[in-house]
Amino acid sequence: MSGLALRQGAILALALLVPSLFVMLAGKDPVATWGVLLGYTLGSWDGFSDVLVRAIPLTLLGLGVAVAFRGGIFNIGGEGQLIAGAVLAVAASPLLQGLGWFALPLYLLAGMLGGAAAGGVVGWLRTRYSANEIIVTILMNYVFLQLLTWVIRGPLQEPMGFLPRSFVIGDGLKLGLLDAGSRLHAGLFVAVAAAVVLQVFLTRSAFGFGLDVIGRSAEVARYAGIRPARLVVLGLLLSGALGGLAGAVEIAGVFHRLEDNFAAGLGLSAIAVALMAGLRPALIPFTAILFGIFHVGSGALQRQLSLPFPLVWIVQGVVILAFLAARAVQAQHGRRT
Amino acid sequence: MELALLTGLLAAGLRLSMSIGIAALGEAVAQRSGTINVGIEGIMLVGAFLAAYGALTTGSPWGGLALAVLGGMVLAGIQAWFTIVLRTDQIVTGIAFVILGLGLSGFLFRISMGGAPSSLPAFRPLDLGPLTALPLVGPVLFGQNILFYLALVAAFGIWFVMKRTRLGLAIRACGENPAAADAAGIRVNRVRAGCTVFGGAMAALGGAYLAIAQINSFVEDMVVGRGFLAIACVVFGRWHPIGVLLAAITFGLAEAAQIRLQTWVPGVPYQFFLMLPYVLGIAALAAMARSAALPKALGRPFQSHRRR
Amino acid sequence: MICRPCASRGLRSPDAAANARAGQLSTPLLAVDGVSRRFPGVLANDEVSLTLQRGEVLGLLGENGAGKSTLMNILAGIVSPDAGEIRVDGRVADLRTPRHAAAAGIGMVHQHFTLIGAMSVCDNLALGERRVGGFLVDRGAIARRAAALARELRIELDLDAQVDALSVGQQQQVEIVKALSGDPAILILDEPTAVLAPEERAGLFDLLARLAAKGTGVVLISHRLEDIMACCDRVVVLRHGRVVGSGAVAGLARDDLIRMVIGDEIVPVERAPAVPGEAVLSVQDLVLHRANGTPAIDGASFTVHRHEIVALCGVEGNGQSELVQIVAGMQSPDGGTIDYRLRGSPLIGPQGVATLRQHGVAHIAEDRLRHAVLGDLSLADNWLLTALFPRALAPHGWLDRAEAARQCTAALRQFDIKARDAMVPLAHLSGGNQQKLVLARELHDEPPLVIAAHPTRGLDARTIAFVQGQLLQARDRGAGVLLLTADLDEVWALADRVMVMSAGRLHGPVPVGSTSRHQVGHWMTGPR
Repeated sequence: MSGLALRQGAILALALLVPSLFVMLAGKDPVATWGVLLGYTLGSWDGFSDVLVRAIPLTLLGLGVAVAFRGGIFNIGGEGQLIAGAVLAVAASPLLQGLGWFALPLYLLAGMLGGAAAGGVVGWLRTRYSANEIIVTILMNYVFLQLLTWVIRGPLQEPMGFLPRSFVIGDGLKLGLLDAGSRLHAGLFVAVAAAVVLQVFLTRSAFGFGLDVIGRSAEVARYAGIRPARLVVLGLLLSGALGGLAGAVEIAGVFHRLEDNFAAGLGLSAIAVALMAGLRPALIPFTAILFGIFHVGSGALQRQLSLPFPLVWIVQGVVILAFLAARAVQAQHGRRT
Repeated sequence: MELALLTGLLAAGLRLSMSIGIAALGEAVAQRSGTINVGIEGIMLVGAFLAAYGALTTGSPWGGLALAVLGGMVLAGIQAWFTIVLRTDQIVTGIAFVILGLGLSGFLFRISMGGAPSSLPAFRPLDLGPLTALPLVGPVLFGQNILFYLALVAAFGIWFVMKRTRLGLAIRACGENPAAADAAGIRVNRVRAGCTVFGGAMAALGGAYLAIAQINSFVEDMVVGRGFLAIACVVFGRWHPIGVLLAAITFGLAEAAQIRLQTWVPGVPYQFFLMLPYVLGIAALAAMARSAALPKALGRPFQSHRRR
Repeated sequence: MICRPCASRGLRSPDAAANARAGQLSTPLLAVDGVSRRFPGVLANDEVSLTLQRGEVLGLLGENGAGKSTLMNILAGIVSPDAGEIRVDGRVADLRTPRHAAAAGIGMVHQHFTLIGAMSVCDNLALGERRVGGFLVDRGAIARRAAALARELRIELDLDAQVDALSVGQQQQVEIVKALSGDPAILILDEPTAVLAPEERAGLFDLLARLAAKGTGVVLISHRLEDIMACCDRVVVLRHGRVVGSGAVAGLARDDLIRMVIGDEIVPVERAPAVPGEAVLSVQDLVLHRANGTPAIDGASFTVHRHEIVALCGVEGNGQSELVQIVAGMQSPDGGTIDYRLRGSPLIGPQGVATLRQHGVAHIAEDRLRHAVLGDLSLADNWLLTALFPRALAPHGWLDRAEAARQCTAALRQFDIKARDAMVPLAHLSGGNQQKLVLARELHDEPPLVIAAHPTRGLDARTIAFVQGQLLQARDRGAGVLLLTADLDEVWALADRVMVMSAGRLHGPVPVGSTSRHQVGHWMTGPR
């Protein structure tokens, strides 16, 4: 037993050590660095509220990733689906003027539809053409990125027409601030609600069970009467919808308009968030907060210590590898006993 | 179409294809042995940075090349340790390396160079005298930089090794039926590790090509998905080195065409042309996937049952 | 009982026969001395000792799980023994790896071929070359050696053919040539006849006899009595990892061998005669084509009624597995009709699995681990697996896990399945207990049609008797059972009618009482 604990301790130590080495390479003191990072993100409301703000889209997108991965579908296109949802929601927003209470839910629904459509295309390509969804979703990310670049300089551009950004969405569609002194917005409730709903849905419904089965073996699924193709498409629709919801929420709560690169880095981080939560919806909000800490903390490190922001990617990459290593070591230990 | 335009298009197309092509050649070998490396995007980024850094510090592009290859091999070596020794999931590990590569290249770039280098010792297009002066064929086939020709040689070399040598036989066996290869005495995991490291070296070379043969600079995230297009090339080219190169050339031509199409068809927003290579990749995957000659053991870790 | 091809004995050299009779007088070619090997939970080989002489064909006989595979893996260098010694020509052999075993002179022909389908015959032979060789693959040398061997053994070999495209018998020949390319003194074949048709079998025995005549020592591992008696000079019988008998084949009676192999008397299953009721399944002119265009099923028609068990037999690869897959809804036919008359209104035409399960079709899958269960899910979740359709345990789309656990726990007790509770992962259960759970699950709802594909394959004798009893009970309760089996004993024990599939065509079904094993065997070996 101690052998296992020792190995996992070593992995944790390495996970802390490697980024620290890079910090030292940049000429900074690692201990002070960790101090600033944790001090800002956990020790100040400014920092922690920003962590929560970042955790909102990470949670929603992470839930989307988890749905797909549980079914054995490697949907890496979260970022593209997020953009698709945001674009459709913003594009539809002028039509929602004057609908009172219905405007916001319809706006969010439009976001879900946009994301679902993006996911559905992938599902269609996979079931009809056996196209590998890993590469297809990644390539689609780049396509949607270009789409975003175009709409904010073209059809959805702000009336003044100078800057590459869209018009502002109507006041009724903005998600209200929860605390006037920070950026934390009502999207928090959407994220938490989504996590709860999905936890119940994926573990208690026949659909969720079917998804688990096809994630393990398509052949067993067929034997049991489950049609893998149907579940794959439905899974991708749901996964995409969650991504689109994340995009719509992010615009409604933070930016209030489409901008270049508003979703930078969310896609890859969301994958890490989902994996570290073991694909369990109930745990995703917590891992989202963890990665929010990395993200916001790195921003603080850049501002206060001039540490380059890409450090956050090194940290995330190392964390994922440490997690994979820890799980592998556990599995090896389990096999031997 | 005018000759000058066509020449320009073809020459640019070939030139733009090799960063993807070199990386794809390496990935094809790795996949033939049974390991899929989704992380070559990250390794290409690191390779691009190391090539720029090495070229600047040594004053020669070859220095940059050597540093890039070294870096690629180290990264791929670590990745091989994860996927082969620890038997972690190959896809997820690959994604971790994409993220890591993004971080390493960006971070190291900012602390070492700070901004885009104004001039970089690079591989210039060769001038083979009378050969290059030939109409059309001249600039297209004989006016490329030296890495281009080396890549062609590498492609043929890989083809020969795979088809005619015992090493190639072993690699193919590991990818098709590792149990049979093991029974034949082949050290499957060693072969796979070697092929993964080779794939990493080639990916880094592809990134290096971008920095010191094509764009002649370094910008953060300059790879923009070429690593993933390389994987699409492997499927498109049916895991055959020549096919893979041809696929890469197709993407290169698409990229070259896209720049020119913007001026030829001014009505369409330029972003749609930028989408072109990616859409092409998706279409290629959809069209080719069914009939693919996929190595049967691709993506599945192997454990030798000997001595257990 | 006279053993069959004493004719082939004529091909063997007098010296070899003398050696076989002399036994201890000369140094054996291969001596296994007190070899033991333990795996977690089972002692696979328990102080096994045997000898093999030059030019002798030795049979290694035993049921599944007797320890033949482990012993063979030890000889082939794949597994190392915990104790004991192996000597080749009197010298202790180093069998650390397959390469070492090959260097020691031991060649292996595995049951599941170690050929790589996507590569050519030449490439596969090159893979089997013992010499590390040069950088290049020497096609010329391989071709010459293969041609010489093919001439000697009187077989044909196309070096450029892709192995995938060859017939099973041809693939086996490639496997044998591959094993012989290293000039082994000893050739071991593991269940070589499992996939051959009877006329191919005779060809194999001739080939082995010719090999023995050259002086090679041949070890034939099989669980089939007929093969051992047809081909071997001596036989060693394994049971539960120990050697329980050995001797010259000529001197042993068939019944002696059977008793050595099976051991204790197993009470034969009691069977009451049954009166078939209405038809539950009726298949007409079923057709299925393979990827290369040849028909896997070439117009099959039969009916299964309530209160009857219809057995389907055939040599592996003749279309029976596909037929069962189609009837169970897992594959679509290319032509023909299938009508089901189950609960409720009749179902016309081929149906999908979901519909069939909803109407009461149970399917005990041929390959349990690949199709029927998920090892890392709990027993209760595996129970739930096939209750999604007919939604018995998932009303309105929400799972009723509590009920699934309750039913599963009851089944554990009723079927005497050794498991702590319904929450343990299925992979913790032994194969026999897993199969019992599958049976319990499939028969739970008293389905009117039960499709059982090789339900007792790989199980121990006690579990086999249990499973067979359950199928008979299902029949007595009114189900119609379609039983796919390769075991003629099982057919005679369980079935009311039997049909044989050969080259995609059906012989029968005919009542079991009106035919004989000989006739069924004859149908199985019908012209291709």
